[in-house]
Amino acid sequence: MSSRVVVTGAGVLSPVGAGLEEFQRVLWSGASAIEPSTRFAGAVTAEFHELNVAPWLGTKGIRVLDRSARLLCSSTQMALAGTGLAVEIGEAGEPDFGLVCGTMFGSVHSITSFDWSGQTEGVTLVNPMEFPNTVINSPAGQAAIKYKLRGVNSTICCGLSSGLQAINYAAEFLRMGRARVLLAGGVEELCEESLGGFQKTGISSPTGKVQPFASGRDGTIPGEGSALWMLESEDNAIAKGRTPVIEICGFGTASDAHSIQAYNVRGEGATDAIAQALENSNIGPEQIACIIASANGSRAGDEMEARALKKVFGEHLNEIPVSAPKAAFGECMGVSGALCALAGGLALQHQCAPPTAGFEGGDTGLKLSASAQPVRGEYALINAFGCDGNNASLVIRLWKK
Amino acid sequence: MIRVAVTGIGVVTPIGFGRETFWRGLLEGKTGIGPVSSFDSTPYPVHIGGEVRDFVPERHLRRLNPETTGRASQMAAAAAGMALADSGIDLNSYNRKRVGVSMGTTSGEPLYVEQYNNIRKAEGEAAIPGDIFPRYPCHVIPTHVAMEHDVHGPCMMIPTACAAGNYAIGYGFDLLRMGRADLMLAGGADAFSRITYMGFARLGAIAPEKCQPFDKNRKGMIPGEGAAILVLEPLEAAKARGAKVYAEVLGYGVSCDSHHMTAAHPQGDGAIRAMRAAMRESGKTIQDIDYISAHGTGTPTNDRVETTAVRTLFADRAAQVPMSSIKSMMGHTMGAASAIEAAACSLALDTGWIPPTINYQDPDPECDLDYVPNQARKTDPRVILNNAYAFGGNNASLCLTRYEG
Repeated sequence: MSSRVVVTGAGVLSPVGAGLEEFQRVLWSGASAIEPSTRFAGAVTAEFHELNVAPWLGTKGIRVLDRSARLLCSSTQMALAGTGLAVEIGEAGEPDFGLVCGTMFGSVHSITSFDWSGQTEGVTLVNPMEFPNTVINSPAGQAAIKYKLRGVNSTICCGLSSGLQAINYAAEFLRMGRARVLLAGGVEELCEESLGGFQKTGISSPTGKVQPFASGRDGTIPGEGSALWMLESEDNAIAKGRTPVIEICGFGTASDAHSIQAYNVRGEGATDAIAQALENSNIGPEQIACIIASANGSRAGDEMEARALKKVFGEHLNEIPVSAPKAAFGECMGVSGALCALAGGLALQHQCAPPTAGFEGGDTGLKLSASAQPVRGEYALINAFGCDGNNASLVIRLWKK
Repeated sequence: MIRVAVTGIGVVTPIGFGRETFWRGLLEGKTGIGPVSSFDSTPYPVHIGGEVRDFVPERHLRRLNPETTGRASQMAAAAAGMALADSGIDLNSYNRKRVGVSMGTTSGEPLYVEQYNNIRKAEGEAAIPGDIFPRYPCHVIPTHVAMEHDVHGPCMMIPTACAAGNYAIGYGFDLLRMGRADLMLAGGADAFSRITYMGFARLGAIAPEKCQPFDKNRKGMIPGEGAAILVLEPLEAAKARGAKVYAEVLGYGVSCDSHHMTAAHPQGDGAIRAMRAAMRESGKTIQDIDYISAHGTGTPTNDRVETTAVRTLFADRAAQVPMSSIKSMMGHTMGAASAIEAAACSLALDTGWIPPTINYQDPDPECDLDYVPNQARKTDPRVILNNAYAFGGNNASLCLTRYEG
């Protein structure tokens, strides 16, 4: 059996749109979803608007689902429907069909509200139905129940690299034969607690702008959403009549934390992650045709990433288009890596890298543009680096028989 | 194929710290359950818990500042230190980029949520300090372990609730087998929290006096806390450095019930699939398994379903396979539980003794297996399954074997 892991479907709800088509249209238009919040007074965010779940979830049994669970269930439904899989019967009910979900704050609003009810109304009066929502793997568990996903159901928390780590974890499970089809990506909700926490991390933009790699950048803005790829072995996809789009090639990860709230500007971990991902894919830096950067506008984080890219790519970097899509959808924390992976997949498919919204020039020397850039090649690198030493890089390839 | 050995054990549990104290306590049937002391339990209908007492973080941490490090992280970093010391490893002789951390948890650092609400209630939103929530997300636990021990390889948190320890040890095993690391610190951690306590109390799941897994009169689980870290390394590397090998990890299996957020599948569908997958991956059959470390929380449903699952899978052999729950002694330590139990399994394989299920008095017709009641037993097990089940319908079984030298 082939150990190649391929992408055969996707589901996405993001600040730049719901569904892969809208996500692509808005992201490639160069528009940005960063704007004054409609939910949190005085804040600037990148929100997924109108979380009206009915089109994806129906109306049955969703009352108990918190925002994270609704986001994840909706992207699950999209990924399943988009690939023509029946949800009630058929493949999605088989025991080797599962879900791997990355998240950073998880259900922090649910756990905080549950405790708050106990402290204000009394510990014997809280609604026990809300207790399950307080565990971090609750969205993944709810999606499994709703869509009969009986295989591995893991939640992955690696800070801002969670979504990319989840995709790699799923790819590894498929290669080891522990599953046949896995939905993998992430979810993150914006809530007052995560927003408050984010604003105090020191990477938040005081001016409400996200300007990755720009000289005048002053921080980032939090976003939310959910994004999943459907992953399976190449053989399984072909046997089931599904055409693979993208192949997962290699992965690298390294931790270089000196604090849980600061980027390591020296970038040893980021450099190691990128170098490992290339090595693990058996390719050289000159083969990368497009880089989807982790850059989110933070001073230290972007500097760290530019340094790491220069170290690994050297002069090749002059030729490789780089995109920083967080200029459009903000720093979506646990789902960022998955959103960037989807963007990277689309860039290869259409041989066109997405714009870095509003980019006016910077001092990093990277090949960035406020417009879409042509891509000439098969491989893309996706980075997800955190302000806590958690670094991950993934190499993907345009699928060919 | 790279074989993976357990060569170091570090535990912070309600029955004591460190391998020797822990193992002696387990074989003696010591209880770590007592009156809740970390918060005022007066408003709750129940008042006991499996708290880790006398844990002084300053005694265990060299690099981390206890004042800015959550309790789960403190216990995890301490357990990692004990495990490394137990393994005899000098990290200076390793490429630290090839040393990783893989952890599980249920609640991350929930004490920061409590602190947030306490300040909010007493002084209002404006008084909430900025550095509370950045300390909450659960990836800070392995990150803190990596910082304390200055290691720079993969750093993973798999928060699959009460089965998380097995997921994390399993993933550490995977990383070694894939050649992505030379050494892994793998386990789980959870801190005692009023939030967890309130949730289980409202579900009516907490026993008022004692934890009696599989007993006819069992009245529920008892929330606990703790941390366990296993040092995992390739068997060849362990042999080359002349290390003590407690056990060998053979494989694991995971599944999802896809049935209910808090209740297990009534026939144990997911539990059966996880055990079967673990045995298949390990190249073992039901004939080979000679001890099961039960999830055994002490709730009426869990123990009945787990028994049903083992009965269904092991058929005629079920009653011949001893199965005990150390949660009877320390309560349910949540995301740490299956890691602590994996530590116990490793020691059972090393010493030949299996720990008892204490507080076992009256047999339940619905739970009719050999639960190793009240007394440790010398059975010289060779192959063990370690079961863990969780909210969200997550199931994970880990298979370990004796190292024959």
